[in-house]
Amino acid sequence: MKERYKKYTVDIPEDMKIPYACIVESPKVNGEQPQMLTGGWRIYRPVVDHDKCVLCKSCILACPDATVLLVDGGQKIGFNLDYCKGCGLCTWVCPVNAIDRVPELDFEDGVPFQDALFLLPHVERLYAD
Amino acid sequence: MAKTIEVTVWATGVVQDKEGRDVCLVLTEAANQEGKFTQAFDNYVDLPDRINVQVRKYARISDTEIENKFEYENHRPNIIGVTEATIMKGINVCKGLQEGGFLVINTTKDPEALLKYVPEKERKKLKAVATIDAIGIAPEQLIDYSGAEGAEDVSAIGAGLGSVMAGAIAAVSGIVKKESILAAAANRTAAKRGYDEVKIKVLK
Repeated sequence: MKERYKKYTVDIPEDMKIPYACIVESPKVNGEQPQMLTGGWRIYRPVVDHDKCVLCKSCILACPDATVLLVDGGQKIGFNLDYCKGCGLCTWVCPVNAIDRVPELDFEDGVPFQDALFLLPHVERLYAD
Repeated sequence: MAKTIEVTVWATGVVQDKEGRDVCLVLTEAANQEGKFTQAFDNYVDLPDRINVQVRKYARISDTEIENKFEYENHRPNIIGVTEATIMKGINVCKGLQEGGFLVINTTKDPEALLKYVPEKERKKLKAVATIDAIGIAPEQLIDYSGAEGAEDVSAIGAGLGSVMAGAIAAVSGIVKKESILAAAANRTAAKRGYDEVKIKVLK
């Protein structure tokens, strides 16, 4: 049966495969829009309890910025903290309460530090000494 | 030449939008009563208001008429107020700070704990850093969009943490007197507690 239909199938290249739920991943570190980093908005960071997590992927569907990722070969839930705004929707939709919201100041790093918001070249001189 | 004191207040969008503006309004109202020239305005430059985005509110206090009245951004502030300490982790709030500036933060932590988020260049210019637990004294009052984006402000100026922050800024920098702050703020108890309970660390 498989052999019979083989001539009708196409091998899709890795970069052309449709991701889970057709969600386009959020940009990587300082990727497409380095001036639109929304990690600085976050007041509470989502933290996953991997023992409780059942990999239902509800959080991936719920995230408005597509910052929830599958890491470790699809075995764990991770976050793109450069763009996570800390809205808390992943915590809200989680059926097993595996995602906590921890105050951001409890962590040392994880937020991209920006010198200014939307600093244009002709404005830079106004800040100079 | 008389110096214009510029105040920049960082707040989180929508949630503390009115509170950030109240800090500027209470300070300028208090300075007005002392006969100074004042100006308080929002940031119109870079961002529309969205929940938890970093927004800026500005105030100017001067002995003489303000010359740069129509320049709607404080590029070289003297005093920085931060109504949510987590903002400092993601952005350089002290950008363009003038020599001998002040930094007042709303947090339960000590002033030393938050100095690490200020870059070295700006840290050298700071005269003092202060913290005040403003949310513990008077939480945010904004439930609706009252007073935001040109709408009529039905709640009083300085009902929430704005008056606490304004009291703390007055105590640290001394730009306005305590009596004027108490007269300008709607929540007099909160402004008084902000003036008295602020934790100051003098750096130089």
